[in-house]
Amino acid sequence: MPEIMGAGVALFDYDNDGDLDVYVIQGTVFDPSQDARRAKFPPAPGWTPGNRLFRNLLSETGKLQFVDVTEKAGVGHVGYGMGVAVGDYDNDGFQDLYVTNFGRNIFYHNNGDGTFTDVTAKAGVDDPRWSTSAAWVDYDRDGRLDLFVANYLDFTVKGNKHCYASTGERDYCTPKMYQPVPARLFHNRGDGTFEDVTEAAGIGAAVGPGLGIVCADFNGNGWPDIYVANDGAAAHLWINQRNGTFKEMSLLSGAAYSADGLPQAGMGVAAGDFDGDGNEDIFKTNLTNEGANLYVNDGHGNFYDASAEFGLLLPTFPYTGFGTEWFDYDNDGRLDLFIANGAVNRMESLRGSPYPFGQPNQLFHNEGDGKKFREMTGATGSAFAMAEVSRGAAFGDIDNDGAMDIVVANNNGPLRLLLNQSRSLNRNHWLLVRLEASHGNRLGIGALVEVRQKGRRLLRRVHTDSSYLSANDVRVHFGLGEDPKIEDLIVCWPDGQHEAWDKIQADRIVTIRQGTGRSIRSHG
Amino acid sequence: MQKALCSIFFQALAFASSSFGAQSSPAVPELPRLSLDNFSPGIQEQIREAYSHARSHPRDANASGRLGMVLQTYGLFQEAAACYRRAGQLEPTIFQWAYYLGVVEADQGKCDAATSTLRLALRVDPDYLPAKLRLANCLLASAEWDASGMLYAEIVEQHPNNADAYYGLGRVRAARRELAGAAMAYGKATELFPEFGAAHYALALTYRALGEAGQADEQLRFYEKNKTGVPPAGDTLLTEVRALNRSATYQVQYGAELEKQGKLAESAAAHEKALEVDPQLVQAHINLIELYGRLGQFEIAEEHYRAAIRLNPDSAESYYNYGVLLLSAEKFQSAEEAFRKTIEINPYYSGAHNNLGYLLERQGSLAEATVEYRKAVENKPSDRQAHFNLGRLLVNQKKYPEGIQELEKTIEPEDENTPRYVYALGAAFARSGDRQNALHYIRQAREGAAARGQSALLTSIERDLRALEASGPPQ
Repeated sequence: MPEIMGAGVALFDYDNDGDLDVYVIQGTVFDPSQDARRAKFPPAPGWTPGNRLFRNLLSETGKLQFVDVTEKAGVGHVGYGMGVAVGDYDNDGFQDLYVTNFGRNIFYHNNGDGTFTDVTAKAGVDDPRWSTSAAWVDYDRDGRLDLFVANYLDFTVKGNKHCYASTGERDYCTPKMYQPVPARLFHNRGDGTFEDVTEAAGIGAAVGPGLGIVCADFNGNGWPDIYVANDGAAAHLWINQRNGTFKEMSLLSGAAYSADGLPQAGMGVAAGDFDGDGNEDIFKTNLTNEGANLYVNDGHGNFYDASAEFGLLLPTFPYTGFGTEWFDYDNDGRLDLFIANGAVNRMESLRGSPYPFGQPNQLFHNEGDGKKFREMTGATGSAFAMAEVSRGAAFGDIDNDGAMDIVVANNNGPLRLLLNQSRSLNRNHWLLVRLEASHGNRLGIGALVEVRQKGRRLLRRVHTDSSYLSANDVRVHFGLGEDPKIEDLIVCWPDGQHEAWDKIQADRIVTIRQGTGRSIRSHG
Repeated sequence: MQKALCSIFFQALAFASSSFGAQSSPAVPELPRLSLDNFSPGIQEQIREAYSHARSHPRDANASGRLGMVLQTYGLFQEAAACYRRAGQLEPTIFQWAYYLGVVEADQGKCDAATSTLRLALRVDPDYLPAKLRLANCLLASAEWDASGMLYAEIVEQHPNNADAYYGLGRVRAARRELAGAAMAYGKATELFPEFGAAHYALALTYRALGEAGQADEQLRFYEKNKTGVPPAGDTLLTEVRALNRSATYQVQYGAELEKQGKLAESAAAHEKALEVDPQLVQAHINLIELYGRLGQFEIAEEHYRAAIRLNPDSAESYYNYGVLLLSAEKFQSAEEAFRKTIEINPYYSGAHNNLGYLLERQGSLAEATVEYRKAVENKPSDRQAHFNLGRLLVNQKKYPEGIQELEKTIEPEDENTPRYVYALGAAFARSGDRQNALHYIRQAREGAAARGQSALLTSIERDLRALEASGPPQ
C-alpha cells in the first residue's frame, strides 16, 4: 500500500534569502538490500536515493533556477518518504523540517547556515508507525509551535494482504483491510525537546486512518482546532478546550461525513474563508465516485456540506483527489481551488497501461456571491491536460511575481512546477505578507491577517499546513482585484494581540513586524 | 411493468424523439471492446459467453442488455453503458435498459446524462419507484432543489410510507435552509424506518442548527446504533444485476454483511461459496476461522486456519483469529504462541497485545502482562477492554492512581457495557480508600444498570453499595 499513497513536497525559504526553495519527499525500495534500478518502475537515470532540497536562485540571479543542495544541507534522508511539515520550532527565524515516513520519522533542525541537523532523537518526536501528514500548531498559545502527526494504518510489509478488484484482478487494498493507528501530539517544551501529550490532551480518544491535516480556529474562540481527513472513516475535528486538551466534535459539527451521512475516503484538506463571511470553511478531497466535500462554517464551528450547492460535487466525482488548497490564482480577491488527482485503484479506462492510475488535476474558479464554482481545468493550459498520478501539492509564489504557483508531487512520476501566468491576463493587484512576531512563534503561524478594501474584507490565515503530505509558503497572499487601495491591514497575532497598519501599498511583498502597528482591541 | 398497448405506443413515440431512440441516432452503437486479461477465469468465461451471445444476435436488445448487466455487476460502468445504449436503440420501449443506463450514469457522477436517461425511462414506466428516487437524488446532487423537491414531494404523496423519499425531501429543505421543514421530513423518515442511520444523522445536524441540543444528541445516539442502516431499496431490477456477480470477493463482502446482521451460518455459507469460486482467497479462510469458532465448530475453523497460513504464512489476522479460537477452547499455551506470531508480523496489533496480556496475567507474569496491555492501548487508545484490563491489573497491584486513570477511560461511550465499567471504577476507588468517589460511581453504575434492566449486575452493585454505605458516615 505505501507505494500508492506518497508523497509530498514543501515550499519554504530555508536560507531566508527571500525566495521559496523546494524540498521533495522520495520513496525507496522497502528492502535496502535490493537495487531500486531493478524495480518494476525504475527511477530515472541519474537518480539519487533520498529526499532532495532544491535551492531557488531567484534572489541571487534574478532568474527562477534551482540547484540541488541536498548533500550540503544534510537533508537527504533515505526512507520510505511520505510527508513534510515546515515550522520554526525554536523561534530562531529559520524554518525546520519534520519528515514523515512509512517507518521512523526524521526531524531536521535548520542551523541557519544552509545546513540542517537531525535532532529526532534529542527532540523525542519520532514515530515508528506509518505517518502521513504533520502540522505545526501552537495549540496552547505558549508561543512555541507544537507538532501534530497523523498516522494511517497498521500495515506492515510482512503482513501485506492480497486484495482484488471486483473482476478478480490483484489491486491495492482499501484501508478497511487494516486497523487505523492513532495520531500523536507533541508538546514543545521550549528547550529543544517535546513531550508526547497524545493521551493527556485527549487525542487518543478517537482513532482514524489519518491523511490530511489542517489547523485553524474553526469555532472563532481564538484557539486553534485541528481537522483531520480520515480515509474511509469519519473525519476528526479536534476542538481546542483551551486547557491543553481537545474534544473530538466532528459528528455534531457536521464535518464528519458527506451530506448523505456516509463516511468517505478523506485525503487532502484545506481551510479558508471562500465566501468572505469571516470564518474558515473546509474543503476535503475524496475517492472516485464520492465527490469532494465543501463544509461551510456558520462561524461557530457548525458545518453543512454544500458541495452540491457550489457545484463542486459532480465535477470531482470521477476523480480521487489528494493535494488541495484554497488560493486566489487570478488575484480577484476570492479563494479558488486546486485539486491534485490520481487514482489508488486500477482504472478500467486505462486498462493495458503499465500504471493505470493517471487522472488530470483540476482548477476551480470562485465566482463569488454564492454562485457555483466554475471549472477552469480545460482553459488553463497544457499543465492541466496531463493525466498523472498526483499526490502532494504545495502552494506559494515561487517567482515572487504576486501570483500563486503550485508544485505537484507525482507518484511514480516527475515533480511538476505549475507557474501561474495569470498576471499577464489581467490587471489585478496583489499583496504578499510575511509576519514576524516579536516574541514566540516567530513566523506567526495561526495568525489571522485581514485586508480591508472599499466594500470588502479579505481574511487569510498564516499557515504551512493543509493539502496532502505537503507544506505551503508561510507568506500570506492576497489578490486585491482591480483596486490597489488597501484601507487597513489588520493582524490578529497568535498571542491574541490585534494591530492595524494603514499606508500599505499593493503589488509588493511586505514584512509586518509585531509591535510596529497601532494596537486595536479587536479586528471585528 | 405490464403495459396496455396504447400506452406502449405513446411511450415509444416519446422515446423515439430522444437521443435514446433509434430514429434520432439510427446507427446502432458497436459493442464495447473488452480486455479481460487478468480477470478471474470464471468471470472471464461469464463475460465471454454474454459477449458472444450479443455478437451473434446483433439485433437482439436483450442480448446486448444482458451483456451490460454482466459488465455492470463487475463495475465496468462505461462498457455497460455502451451495451445499454445499444439495447435501447434496438428496443426503445423496454424500460429496463434505459433504467440501467441511468443507474450507471448516475454511479459515475454523470448526473446531467442520468437525469435525461431516467426521465426517458420513467416515460416508459412512470411507476418504478427506485427510478424516481434515483432521478430525485441526481437532481439533488446537481443542486436543482426545485425539481428535486417537487419529485420527492410527488413520491411522498404516492408512497406515504417511503422513508427514502422523506429523507430526500429533508435534504432538499435542509439545502434551502428550511430547517423546521427538514426536521419534519427527517423525523418522518426515521419514524418509518427507525434504523435509518443517515436520516438520524441528518436530523441531529438539523436539530443542532435549530439550537435543539438535547434532541440533536438523542438523534446522534440513534445514529451511532444504526450507522449503516438503510431502508430496503426494493429495486428488483438491480437485484437481478447483483445476482449475476460470481466473484469471490463479492461473496466475501456479502458474507461480511450477513455477519454484521448476526447471521453467522449464512455468512459462513457465503464465504464457502467464495472459496468454491476461488479456493486461494485467503480472506475467506481468515473470516471462516472466526465464523466457525463462533459457531462452535472448532475443527472446521482449524482447517481454515491451516488453509490460510498455507496460502499466506505471513497473515497476522490468520494467527490472531486462530489465537482467539484457541483461547475460547482454553488451549492457552497454543493461543499465546498464535498471538506472539501475530505480533511478530504486525507489532501494532492491539487485540493481540491485549489477549497476550491476559494470558500472561493468568500465568502470574504481571510485569509482562502490563507491558502488553500498555502496547494495546498505545496502538488503539479507544480499546475499552484493554484500558479495563490494564486498570484492573494496576489496581490489583495497589497502583491505584494509575489504575484508576485507566479505568476512567472506560466509562465512555454510553452503552450497555457502561454500567459495568462505571461499577469497576467505583470499586477501584473503594479499594483505594476514596469512599466519596466510590459512592459516586457505584451509585452512577446502579442508575445505569437499573435503567437498562441489568438485574444481575444491579444485585451485585446494590450489595456492594450497601456494604460501602454501612462502612462510614452517610454521604
